[in-house]
Amino acid sequence: MTDAAIQVDHVSKSFRMYKERNQTIKSAIMRGRTSVHEDFWALKDVTFDVPVGSTFGLIGSNGSGKSTLLKCLANIYYPTTGTITHNGRLAAMLEVGSGFHSELSGKENIFLNGSILGMSKKEVTRKFDEIVDFSGVEQFIDQPVKNYSSGMYVRLGFAIAINVDPDILVVDEVLAVGDAEFQEKCFQKFRDFKKMGKTVVLVSHAMSTVEAMCDHAAWINKGTLMAVGEAAPTIAAYTQSYGHEG
Amino acid sequence: MHYLREAFASRELLANLTLREIRGKYKRTVFGQLWSLANPLALMVIYTLVFSLIFRIKPEPGSPSGLNVFALWLLCGLLPWTFLATVLTNGTNALVSNAGLIQKVAFSRIVLPLSLVGSAGYNWLFEMAVLVIALSIAGAFVLPWIPLVLVIMVVLAIFVAGLSLMLAIANVYFRDTQYFITLILQMAIYLAPIIYPVSMVSKVSKDVGGLLGTPVTLEGIYLVNPMVHFVGIFRNLLYDNQFPPPAEWLICLAWAFGSFIAGLAVFRANEKRLAEAL
Repeated sequence: MTDAAIQVDHVSKSFRMYKERNQTIKSAIMRGRTSVHEDFWALKDVTFDVPVGSTFGLIGSNGSGKSTLLKCLANIYYPTTGTITHNGRLAAMLEVGSGFHSELSGKENIFLNGSILGMSKKEVTRKFDEIVDFSGVEQFIDQPVKNYSSGMYVRLGFAIAINVDPDILVVDEVLAVGDAEFQEKCFQKFRDFKKMGKTVVLVSHAMSTVEAMCDHAAWINKGTLMAVGEAAPTIAAYTQSYGHEG
Repeated sequence: MHYLREAFASRELLANLTLREIRGKYKRTVFGQLWSLANPLALMVIYTLVFSLIFRIKPEPGSPSGLNVFALWLLCGLLPWTFLATVLTNGTNALVSNAGLIQKVAFSRIVLPLSLVGSAGYNWLFEMAVLVIALSIAGAFVLPWIPLVLVIMVVLAIFVAGLSLMLAIANVYFRDTQYFITLILQMAIYLAPIIYPVSMVSKVSKDVGGLLGTPVTLEGIYLVNPMVHFVGIFRNLLYDNQFPPPAEWLICLAWAFGSFIAGLAVFRANEKRLAEAL
């Protein structure tokens, strides 16, 4: 047994950058090829472990490969080379409320979205009250979600996702949703997660968030892992680097 | 096998997505589920007017049922056809129209095209139930044949599911597929014995003889179309009330499993690249 929740082992990911992409049959036949492309390496040989029970921050500038790595962790992208292994059930929250059907009611959407996120009907039924309570939309739960305000929409989506109850939770910058009160609720939920010995991986641009929440961090720059380890020194190294560049 | 088990684990998601399609479709309409009958009924009226009254197409009376109603004879072939057409048109777009979901959430992608087979199948079941009632009123003894009708419906659904798995993938790489399939379906209804009986093709085929001096006949080519066999079985069961020839069953089963296995293989080979390719 190992005490790593996620092991990222020599992971590289390339994307094709198309100079020419013939997505219609006519152009594919006329040009005699479907595409001309160049490989772009979004991640280059990244290796690190995420310890069990840690809150792990991924930091770096825009376009550094954080989100690509997060999508690899979430099994949406698959690494070109290398492997990612995780011990325990993993849930990813890259966008809240994706898969909502606007004509269906909040209640129907809870069941639909829950099953997209991998919950069984039993689990959703058991957690239904908790979800509704957390989202704070009980008054409108039988209304179609298209009548929801954007805040209610996001809150409901978040409430479902957080109740998947995974061992490892992967979060993109979804914390920037809802009002201050709801954000505080979310942070509290993450702290509870930590207390239960669960692992959280999050991507954020807000250093204050990372500082407040994470005990470990990894800094990625242009697809290369620059530093990994305890949160404070990693964040310091990152802030220093852009301090120098201007 | 491992893959099938994984897909089986997502059956609850499949059921939920199917319900999403069914519930969302006729929401806020006054007639609700009745709309699913509107399209086949409109086609029935038009085709009966044009092909029975004007072109005077006379299918053989049902034997042993003794039925001789063009509109009912037509519907026995038309309802399976509209099911196929609906699934193929929607199924081709199943992945492209859910691009947002595929790029944000990890789940078994195969449920997206399959849920459309489920929701179209639900509507089809409803239409077929109405047809069975209409046939019974007209004097056919359909009830004992219902279990076999359900069997062939499942076989056709498997056949169509396989095709739509392949088309959904093709549409990710070539967006022409969706327009192409609409065009093909418009033509293909005339290449299957939906609005005319097979006997008319046999007659023309006999008059023409072997094509270009070969033993290949028009009818031989015509019979390659799997829908000819499916429609034949549906008419045998529903309209004639007789057991379809075992050879026909075998042909349909072979097409269904061939198509499904090929669809599964194609889908599986491309599934992991979907988030990037979309």
